[in-house]
Formats: sequence, C-alpha cells, structure tokens
Amino acid sequence: MTFSSKDLRTFLSTYKIVALLLIIAVIWTFFGVLTYDADLGGSQFLTARNFSNLLRQMAITGMLASAMVFVIVAGEIDLSVGSLLGLLGGIAAVLDVLYHWPLAGTIAVVILLGITVGTFVGWLTAYQGIPSFIVTLGGMLVFRGAVLGLTGGITVAPASEELKYIGQGYLPGFMGNGLAVALFLLLAVLAFRTRAGREKHGLPVSSIPMEIARLVAIGGVILGFVLTLNSYQGVPVPVLILLVILGVFTVIGDKTVFGRRIYAVGSNLEATRLSGVDVNLVKMMVFAMMGLMCALAGLTTTARLAAGTPSAGSGGELDAIASCFIGGTSMRGGIGTVIGALVGALIMASLDNGMSMLGVETFWQQIVKGVILVLAVWMDIVSSGNTR
Amino acid sequence: MADYLLEMRGITKEFNGVKAIDGIDLVVRPGECVGLCGENGAGKSTLMKVLSAVYPPGSWSGTILWEGKELHARNIRDTEEAGIVIIHQELMMVPHLSVAENIFLGSEPTTRAGFVDYDAMNARASELMKQLKMPDINVALPVMAYSGGKQQLIEIAKALNKNAKLLILDEPTSALTAAETETLLTLVKEFKARGMACVYISHKLDEVAAIADTVTVIRDGTHVATRPMAELDTNEIITMMVGREMKNLFPREAHEIGEVIFAAKNVTVWDTTNTERKLVDDVSFELRRGEILGVAGLVGAGRTELASHLFGCWKGRHQGAILLDGEEVRVHAPRDAVRQGISMVPEDRKRHGIVPLMGVGHNITMSVLKRFTRRGLIDAEDEMAAIQGEIRRMRIKTAQPLLPIASLSGGNQQKAVVAKMLMPNPRVLILDEPTRGVDVGAKYEIYKLIFELAKQGVAVLMISSELPEVLGISDRVLVMGEGRLRGDFPNTGLSQEKILAAALGKQDQVAA
Repeated sequence: MTFSSKDLRTFLSTYKIVALLLIIAVIWTFFGVLTYDADLGGSQFLTARNFSNLLRQMAITGMLASAMVFVIVAGEIDLSVGSLLGLLGGIAAVLDVLYHWPLAGTIAVVILLGITVGTFVGWLTAYQGIPSFIVTLGGMLVFRGAVLGLTGGITVAPASEELKYIGQGYLPGFMGNGLAVALFLLLAVLAFRTRAGREKHGLPVSSIPMEIARLVAIGGVILGFVLTLNSYQGVPVPVLILLVILGVFTVIGDKTVFGRRIYAVGSNLEATRLSGVDVNLVKMMVFAMMGLMCALAGLTTTARLAAGTPSAGSGGELDAIASCFIGGTSMRGGIGTVIGALVGALIMASLDNGMSMLGVETFWQQIVKGVILVLAVWMDIVSSGNTR
Repeated sequence: MADYLLEMRGITKEFNGVKAIDGIDLVVRPGECVGLCGENGAGKSTLMKVLSAVYPPGSWSGTILWEGKELHARNIRDTEEAGIVIIHQELMMVPHLSVAENIFLGSEPTTRAGFVDYDAMNARASELMKQLKMPDINVALPVMAYSGGKQQLIEIAKALNKNAKLLILDEPTSALTAAETETLLTLVKEFKARGMACVYISHKLDEVAAIADTVTVIRDGTHVATRPMAELDTNEIITMMVGREMKNLFPREAHEIGEVIFAAKNVTVWDTTNTERKLVDDVSFELRRGEILGVAGLVGAGRTELASHLFGCWKGRHQGAILLDGEEVRVHAPRDAVRQGISMVPEDRKRHGIVPLMGVGHNITMSVLKRFTRRGLIDAEDEMAAIQGEIRRMRIKTAQPLLPIASLSGGNQQKAVVAKMLMPNPRVLILDEPTRGVDVGAKYEIYKLIFELAKQGVAVLMISSELPEVLGISDRVLVMGEGRLRGDFPNTGLSQEKILAAALGKQDQVAA
C-alpha cells in the first residue's frame, strides 16, 4: 500500500500536469452529471457550445496568467494587471469609438503602451529596488484611477465591428482544420529533428513506435479539440490568440536564454548575478511581457463587451495569480509552467461556468473558488512531499 | 547503568531505494568525545538527522538506545528533551533578536502573568556567557551585532541552557578564526571534564585529533572503523576516509609563469553598514600568466571583499583600478568581469554558487548559454553534449545530468560551480575558499584542476583560510590583515608560522 501510494506521489509530482488534468476530469464529470437533463437530450455542461463558452471565458484570465507565471517564477508579483487591463482596454475603446481609429492603429498603440508601462514598473522594481508588491499595489490604484478619469466613469460604446471580431469572432471551420493540420505537422517535424539531434550526440532516444504513439496521441487531442469547436461555430478568436501565446511563451520558457534566466533568477538571484547574468534586465523584461499581455487582454475584453467600461478587469490580477498557483507555480519562485497556469485558469473557469449553470448563488461561487485555490496548493505541497 | 550513553546500531536509511547509510554503528560513552569522520556524502549528516528525529522513526531501520533504553523521539523537541542537542554547520540564529532571546528561543521564562521575564532571561544568559568566557557580550544586543565566531559560541550557550547531555557539533569551526577555534576546543574539553559527551564532526582532522577520545570513520554510507584516537594519526584517518592511501595531498605540477596579465591598483572597499569603516585598505598587487597566487589571512581580513571588488559585485562603496594587460578595464557588475575574462567561484556556495532548483547541467551552462543558441533558441542537444563533457571532465558524480544540483553532495556541487565559471574560458580565475566543506577526494581533484589551469596559462587567485592548502598550491602568497596587504612572499621556504605572523602584523619579529 505504502509502496504504491509513494509511486503515485512521485508520478504526480513529476507529471504535475497529469494531476491537474485529472482534477479537470473530475470537475467536468461532476458538472456533467449534475446538469444532465433527459428532456434536452443529455448533459448541458458537456456540449460543444459550452466547451466553446468555457474557453472564451478563460481566455482573458489565461492571457494574464501566461505572463504572471513568469513574474512569479522570477520571484516577483504583479497586482496591477487587472487595473492595467482596464486602462488599456479603456484606451482601446476611446480610440476606436470616439476617434474611429483603424484597428491596426489602435492595436499598435495599446500594445506599445502596455509594453512601456510594464517596462516602467519593471524598472522601478529591478533597478530602483522597490518591492514589486508595493510598486504594483500603487499601480493598481493609479491605473484604475486613470481609467475612471479617461472614461468619466461611463461606458464607451459601441465598438467597431472589426474590434468586436477579436473578442467575439470565430475562425471559419476550414481555417481551424488547416491550422490544426499545420500545428500537427510542425510538432511532428520538431519531434523527429530533436530525435536526429540526440542521435547525433549519442544521447538516448525513445523507440520509433513510442515516438509514433506519442504523436498519434497528440494528433488525437488536436483533432478532438478542433472538431468539437467546429461543430459549434469554430475556434473562437480569443482562444486562438491564447493558444498562440501558450506556444510562444512555452518556447520562451523552455528554449531561450531569457527563459532559462527567469527560472535561475527566481531560484537564486545572487548566484545568477555572480554567473555573469544581467539579472535586473531579466526582471524588467518579465514585467514588460506582463505589460504586453495586459494590452492583449485589455483589447480582448473591450472587444468582447463591445465597449470600454471603467470596471473592466477588476479582480483580474487575483484570478491570474490564483490560476498560476493552482497550476503548480511555486510562491517562492523558480518553479512554474505556462501550460500549468492555463490549466489552472481552465479549472477556475470550469467552476465559474458549471456553478452558474446550476444556478449556484454568486456568494457560494466565491467561497467554492477560494476553497479550491487553497485545496489545490495544499495538494501540490502534499504530493511533492514538502510538508514540514 | 548502561556502559553507553548513546548506542546506535545498524542504522539504515534509504532514499527512493538508494541506501544513504547502511548498517552504521555509533556509540558514545558518558563524558566521551567521539570524532565522526567521513567524506562529504559519506552519510554523516544523514546519521545525525536520524538521531535528532529529523527523519522520524519508521523511515529508517536499526535501533537507538539512549541511556540503555530505546529512544522514542518523534521530533527534535523530543530529542532535545532527552538531552541530545545538535549544533548545525549553518548558524540557526534569528539575527534581529537579542542574544538572550536567541538562547531562550522556544523556552522563554515567563512571569506569573504570562509575559516574558526579561530580567530572569538576561541574567541567566549573562551567566552562560561568563561560563563560555565571553563576559563582555551584551546579551541584550541583537545577535547580528556579533561576529560569526561569537555567534557559534552563543549557539553553544543555547545548548548548555537546554541541559544537553550529548552535544553534537557539525563542522562547528568552518566559519571561525584560529583564536575562536581554540576557544571552542578548550570549551569542549571543559564540558568533557564535567561529564558531557560530544560527537564532533569535522573535516579539520587536527581538531578531531586534539579533542576526540574515539574516532568513528564512515565511508559511502557504511561503517569503516571505530578506534581510540590514541592509536591513530590524521593520515590514518584520511586513509580510512578515502579508502586509499593519500600519498600526495597536493599534486604539484610544474607550470610556466609568464608576464603580468592582471593587476589591481589601490583597491579600497568600505563596509556597507558602517560606511566609514574600510574593509580593504589600499591594496595593490599583480598577477602573472600561469601563476597561482594564494591569499592568506584571518577571517575578516578583507579578502572576500577584495575579490568582490575585482569581480564587480561589492554592493557598498569601493574604488581601485583593475588592469588587464596593462589597460584599465571597467568592471561594474559580474557580467563585465566575465566578459573581460575574469571568473570567480564564490565562498558561500549555497547562497552565491548554486541555483538549487535547476539541474546540475543547467547550472554549468548558465554563464555561456548564448553559445548554444541557434536562431534565438537553445539547441538542447548541443547543450547536453557540452554538459556531459563537463560532467566527465570534472568527474561530477550525479545520477543524471539534469538532476537538481541541490541533491548532490557539497564536493560535487562545488565541482559544478567551478565548471560553470570555467565555461567562459577565463584568463583570470578567482577562487574564494574553493575547498570549504568539500571532502578529501573532491579537494584533490580541485587541486589538480588548479594546476591544470595554471599550465594552460590561466592566472589563479586563490583565497584560502587553510594554510597547508595555501602553502601546498601557491607559487606566491599574499597575506592580508585588517584590510591591508601585510605580506607578499614567494612560496619558497615559507612556513605557516611566518604567514600567521604576517597576518597578525608581527612580521618584523619573524624577519629579525
């Protein structure tokens, strides 16, 4: 008994993501059963339509969480992202609704502003030595104040059709399929190139059948994902953006010098500095990335609501931070993955969505989400054997 | 009454199926001092963690008898109640609390109203300080006001206050000056006379020889021998520790010394907290191609601060020119130094050397990661090939190249840190206490590497507090004392006494 539970523990701590997917499976089964309705011919939770909704709901939190995970891995925190999202979304709305700027111009300006503000926050933290908790707590108030001043406290509407597409549009079915095929081919090519590289250096490789089995499994997941979404209206644009971010950020985290340094800085700042790494620059760039994600999330929020509202993004920072922690990011820095954070966001979104569907009152929803957050981190600590 | 105070028999502890210690015996008689010797990774710490119930009963096998009865301790509190107190290598002090508060941490005396009884606490603490021959310590001051050596002794006061019957000292002198070490050893002898037993764990075999009655040697997790110290000498202990004859502790190799390639001019470094105090005071020296320059001095002589200035990592005020090939170079940050061809292996491995959560391999490639990128992406296979090459070359013992570095023994961690700082192919290598907390085998390999580098023309600046090491390795020796350069001797006919005299500023008497 003890032997098998120990084995399970090692397995789960090595493949954290499996544990998280198991949690999602449990949550989905739970809501799937509870929303079963014989008259409507099946479970209301487990439909293509709801799956699409769920993904769209998590997209904005997911964008913030993708960059937040790097901020936390680097040993910092950013409390200002909800407000910055609101401010940048508000600016997008003003440019679009009041000044009728072309979409490309709006996007360019908002993204540039996001990166600039993020870089400034990072500079204050990394080069001026103000703790990020303080800088971003201040930023949270400043940005929220600014968006209130900018919009005069009222909703700026209606957004242009082009902008709305970012938040509400769907990819046509054939494009979704095309992208899926392209993604699969890319992954297959990469897998075999990695293999060739490892063989060249005489490093161990897995057997050909194993490799093929792995690719078939990946292909199955991609196919299932796209077909499900296509059976409703297609891949939602915000979900596509989020998937691109997931891909790019995972590559940044795993494959680039910058990514490696983020983890090093979070694990031991001084040792990293003494290895000849410009640690301040690394930190500042992490905040710049966070700013960029606030811009994308702000644009998506405005597009989805078809309006700029003064309260957009309120509490977004807490959802993003919670997603990271549920997804296995360590509070102490040095550990965390983008995919983990996104699965964390999916767990939160599933709870929101399922409970709303069941008509659970809002106050209960908050209580349940809070409990789940603490529970998830507790399970993570227990499974990695880090209890005191 | 049993013969033994403590009797540990057949202790075996596994981690994930790997036996860290396998059937070890350790026995201590009342009033006896047992020296516990073994290389890093031999299992000393594991054994002590079993004894102090850091690993609870059930997670290991074997028996522990304490005063003839089986010891049922579930945590450190239980073992301390029984009278077993461990003083760890790293100080366990709360720096902002006062000396007295630290001594009484967890057992604060209270008044009847339930408040902390500071008068009783300070009085008792002062009394303990007198017992430890440190009557001038103000027990109401925060602990951080005192040096590492004093803090170590305060740690011992804490143990005394707990009425320890068995005191376990784990590398207690690794941060102490010679004088402080002397005080500590005298104290241990006094405790012994009073009937307190102790287990003394140290790599410094001279200390073990000075105070131990019995020596237990373990190697690779197994018990090698337990013999009276009177029958042994330090060479025999070394032989038992490494399992082979260590004929030559310092594998000297001839190497050519070339022209001056590096020079420091008028380096002065000020304290970060007390900004008027000079830690390094106007030090200048030159370093030649292929030369091994030892820097000796007592702890607090300013050697690490000097190295920090040269590597661009001193946080306070500092000035002084750094010249490479006769030209002044700007070194404002470690990355400038690395770019110019200056590398440093820092003194404090845990805080400044390793990135604990990352793999050994990724630690090694940290400073030259850009070398393995293609179109902005790291070529993992290229990197792995380089990592495996380094692991082989440095003989780093690790199960996998990407195992977290924190899970390796101290010696292997150190080898990885050295490998990391050699990756940029430095022309000047600064080693700050390169063999601190490193076992004999790894030490030997590090020495060999130093000579290998000197042969290749690397200029090596080695700071070390172990005088035999300084004498055994260096071509030339700088001696520092109180921030000043107090001697610059070619290493011919140099003795430990002469270096010490210079460090203490008594050079003239020796010269005369």
